[in-house]
Amino acid sequence: MTEAAPALPPAPAAPLVRLAWRNLWRHRQRTILLLAVVAYVTFLTIFYWSFVDGYGESVVESYARYIVAPVRIAADAWYEDPDPEHHLPDQPLLSMLADVPGVRGASARIHFPALLQSAYVTQGAEVVGVDPAGERRLSRIPDKVAEGRWLEGPGEVVLGQEVARRIDARVGEHVVLSAGALAGPQAMGLQVVGIARTGVAAVDQTAVIVHLEDARRLTGVPTATTIALDVARGTEAAVAERVQALLPAGVTARGVWDLVGPIKADVEANQAFAHVLALVVYAFAALAVTSTVFVSVMERTRELGVIAALGVTPRRLGLLVTLEAFFTCALGWLGGLALGYAAAWALATYNILGPLFAAISASMPTAGLSEEVYGAVRTAYVAYSGMVIAAAVVMSALVPGRRAARLRPAAAMRAE
Amino acid sequence: MERRYVKALALAVALAVAAAVAVPAATQGAGEPPRDASALLRAVVDNLRGGPLWGTYTFVVERPGRTAEYVMEVVTDGDERGLIRIVAPPREAGQAFLMDGNDLWLYNARLGRSLRLPPSGRSNAFLGSDVSYNDMVGRDLETDYTAAFAPPGAAERDGAGVDIVLELTPRPGAPTPYGRALVGVEEARLIPRWVDYYDQRGQVVKRLTLAEYLEAGDWRVPTHMVVEDATREGYRTVVRLTDVELDAAVPEACFALQALERGCR
Repeated sequence: MTEAAPALPPAPAAPLVRLAWRNLWRHRQRTILLLAVVAYVTFLTIFYWSFVDGYGESVVESYARYIVAPVRIAADAWYEDPDPEHHLPDQPLLSMLADVPGVRGASARIHFPALLQSAYVTQGAEVVGVDPAGERRLSRIPDKVAEGRWLEGPGEVVLGQEVARRIDARVGEHVVLSAGALAGPQAMGLQVVGIARTGVAAVDQTAVIVHLEDARRLTGVPTATTIALDVARGTEAAVAERVQALLPAGVTARGVWDLVGPIKADVEANQAFAHVLALVVYAFAALAVTSTVFVSVMERTRELGVIAALGVTPRRLGLLVTLEAFFTCALGWLGGLALGYAAAWALATYNILGPLFAAISASMPTAGLSEEVYGAVRTAYVAYSGMVIAAAVVMSALVPGRRAARLRPAAAMRAE
Repeated sequence: MERRYVKALALAVALAVAAAVAVPAATQGAGEPPRDASALLRAVVDNLRGGPLWGTYTFVVERPGRTAEYVMEVVTDGDERGLIRIVAPPREAGQAFLMDGNDLWLYNARLGRSLRLPPSGRSNAFLGSDVSYNDMVGRDLETDYTAAFAPPGAAERDGAGVDIVLELTPRPGAPTPYGRALVGVEEARLIPRWVDYYDQRGQVVKRLTLAEYLEAGDWRVPTHMVVEDATREGYRTVVRLTDVELDAAVPEACFALQALERGCR
């Protein structure tokens, strides 16, 4: 009967950690290569999400500031059929809205179809009657008047750049607007005082903006068809809900996200596709890190065989390789975070992407894209990129780590 | 001697006074043009429209390489109301247009429906020609513009029989896209010989030339009109007015919506 050998106490982890750390700098070139791969993957992940999120936000933002409004109030019937006869009831809605928390400004608008005529061309137009001062707080169009000036009073019209080009109208010239009013057809001559160049195709190709008083004369609408509210970005839905409590029956406040129409589906589809694409990118990124670690293990077969021959157990050998991968990935990740957030900040601060989208905007007028497309900066990108790197570390433990654990010292030491 | 001299002097004074009274009366009776440009324009528009009438318009629309002809019956009160019904070609026959001030209605025979068009539709091309509704019915020249006598040399053309040129400037807010219009007027008969419409950059964009006036009583109406699109070469419409009954009795029913579909004769 032989006496059972006493179980060895578990080896302390600290020496293994130290060994793994030292190994990183023993193979400096290989480590730097892996660091670069991980940093690049992290940078790419942050850049990708900054772009995807920023694109969606820019589309909605340009919709809010150029095409609709952050929050819009209109009669339910008008939402169904935007005809001027479905105008808002004759109630002091504007004064009621002044005290609603989150509402920074409110301005009445009248939307109506009309015929726009120059001395050369007549064409249909969707006209908006606005309060010039109120619109300055709400819309970016007043600041985008490239020729002439913004509206100051009745008898004036501001045209989108493409509208002006199509009818061959210049600043200072007169055009004729005519519409089917509630009280019968009306027409009036208006002076072109400004031509807007926004970079938003939907505005530049269709904008015909007149004074609210002229719109009332042309349509016979005594009030307005909509009230546009200026609210802080991201608070649209909440403010719309608060405003709704004050509105009479049959009148509804909607945040921009509920107003973007087909753009909403487009943005959501883009987001869904972005997630699928991200998963593919993540998988390739993790594979790239894992394969780099794997190649490193292959190259170090002899070295790892020597370490195993010195008494390091297979399990600890696998752990050593995994720790090395972890350290490299952690360092690369931190470096990638710094680079990625710097790039995201640059995208969010400077209109770097805008010029790239100018051509797309022209071909997608309903998309509401503007020349200004900014990136987003969110803390969630730390988690997104962290997940990729974590997946890479796990795969490193599974494949290269297991290979290291299974090495036979004698065979490994003979390896070339 | 002295008595004869006094008699002769008295006779001369009497003749001078008589002449001073008689000459203006005579010239007024002969149709002296109004001194006021607005009054002159009113008279010119009266003669452009020709008063209440029945007739047949024939449009020959000329385009580079092709022409199209339309025949239509017209009845107008000579003021702001007119009914036009197309009788040829068969493809367009049955379509009708009713103009009543700013109101403009179109009857589509295929749909069997009447559509109300916006007032600026009055300046639009009629049946794809160079003629607008305003050129046939209405007094837009009077209502949309302020008239003044044009300075010599203002017009790019004078033409036979033109003695006076009226310069029409759009009234503030008037629904006209033109920068100005010049009207060449024959002074003796107070008839327009031509109308040139200018854009706001001083270029002629449309020219009307009117000729072959038919006269009946106090009314005169041009029976030949050429409308040219001055911005496009080869775009021209020749209009002839035939079978005219001037100063005719026009029933009110001709300007009711029902007349669009059924006519009124």
